[in-house]
Amino acid sequence: MAAVDIEGVRKVFGGRAGAVEALAAIDMTLAEGEFACILGPSGCGKSTLLNVIAGFEDLTEGSARVFGQGVSKPGPDRAVVFQEASLFPWLTVWENVTFGPRMLGRPKPETEELARRFLGLVGLAGFENHLPDQLSGGMKQRVGIARCLILKPRVFLMDEPFGALDAQTRMQMQELLLHVWDEARGTVLFITHDIDEAIFLADTVYVMTARPGRIRSRIVVDLPRPRTIEVLTDPRFNALRADILHQIREEASKATRAFEEEERARK
Amino acid sequence: MAVAANAAPPALLGLAIPAILVAVWEVLGQTGVVPQGILPAPSLVAATWWDWAFGARGMGFNPYLGTWAETVLFSTKRVFMGFLTAIVLGVPIGIMIGWNRLVAGAVDPLIQSLRPIPITAWLPFSIAVFGIRDAGAVFLISLGAFFPIVVNTTAGARDTPKNLIRAARMMGASERQLLLRVVLPNALPSIFTGMRLGLGIAWTAVIVAEIVAVKSGLGYVLWDAYYVGRMDVVIADMISIGLAGFISDRVLVAAGHRVLHWKQFGAR
Repeated sequence: MAAVDIEGVRKVFGGRAGAVEALAAIDMTLAEGEFACILGPSGCGKSTLLNVIAGFEDLTEGSARVFGQGVSKPGPDRAVVFQEASLFPWLTVWENVTFGPRMLGRPKPETEELARRFLGLVGLAGFENHLPDQLSGGMKQRVGIARCLILKPRVFLMDEPFGALDAQTRMQMQELLLHVWDEARGTVLFITHDIDEAIFLADTVYVMTARPGRIRSRIVVDLPRPRTIEVLTDPRFNALRADILHQIREEASKATRAFEEEERARK
Repeated sequence: MAVAANAAPPALLGLAIPAILVAVWEVLGQTGVVPQGILPAPSLVAATWWDWAFGARGMGFNPYLGTWAETVLFSTKRVFMGFLTAIVLGVPIGIMIGWNRLVAGAVDPLIQSLRPIPITAWLPFSIAVFGIRDAGAVFLISLGAFFPIVVNTTAGARDTPKNLIRAARMMGASERQLLLRVVLPNALPSIFTGMRLGLGIAWTAVIVAEIVAVKSGLGYVLWDAYYVGRMDVVIADMISIGLAGFISDRVLVAAGHRVLHWKQFGAR
């Protein structure tokens, strides 16, 4: 059974300025354990797609299934890592990580053991009593990852989680994520606009078109795992990079053209 | 060494102007430029206050001897009860208005239309309904404190970041957990702002209520002393009210700092 099954998903936002079609007929299937990256120009609707799968947004047409179950509302089977970590600022690191299990009424001893384990895994042992505002951006995202791991979700949905970090930290976090993924496994849907990030992390890269978003192509990344930063200099990496860059450029210029036409039409 | 203009001023600086004013006031009183019956000198006010606070009760013709503590307690009790009622009603109602559009549509117009009626305008209504009793005073105080609390709670609940709500939902929080664990804590800083404003209004309301609607407390003594020409008691009473308001605000702020300890780190 597919982990994530998206069929003909269309999403239209209604608004005073008129309806905006964010997604147009998206089809995609993720196998269990697949690490997929969705890559696209900004405003192409990639976050909307993630929100639909997370159950944050209703879809206008089509169907979204996770392990055969139609998505209707958010739930701990689909953990989300947000771009801005979105931790509860009034809770400590420990309380943030154990928030989910406490809401779900899971047994305390198991929760505490998992919290210790995952905080160790993301390198935050010793920071249990810190408040989010005392942490750096990268550390906040580590908490965001740990609080997802502890839910034992079937799918991880990551919405440009490293987009706001500086280049150095971003690279560290990418390596950390692969390390965590090796340990925890699970299906990952990772949204990004960073081509290197997508190739470095993913089994498959889905390139999205400019708005309204469609899947333009599906690219299999056949680089060996475990991957380290050295892979960035691999000739296969560069070949993939060139191919995807070309596609993204086309979509970006399409988006610019569409924007200009809209502007002209308005005048 | 020159003191930089933006350096912290010495602690005593803030006392200089009040000290000068008190000195001028004392001179005006002692020399009789302003009659003692209108503006008693600070030394007289201090002596009166001492008698009011520590005098032996029932001695001589001074009905105020030794009654200060109980007078302050009467007012404080009313403020406390009214303020507590305002919190108990204002916070849940504010959270619900901020959270649920249906509740907002049903309740908010009523609150917004009652809010502009000044607390003093409710006096006759309050006396008609509750009579010259404590309940009337408590009603006025709670009404006065209710509005800032409910309005600020509403704003705080409404400001809950969308992604915090989404995060809680994805971690399996029920609607009730969402309100108690996310919306309420997020609103707490605003709730405390509302509470501070409400407490200020509560002290205003208790004085007004005691002047008109009950026969005890700082407000009652204030007006009673004025009627018998005891301006020294009036001024001692005024200072007592200010002190009570100031101390209760400090207590509230200290409680707020404890509850909102996570706020001190600020946004990064």
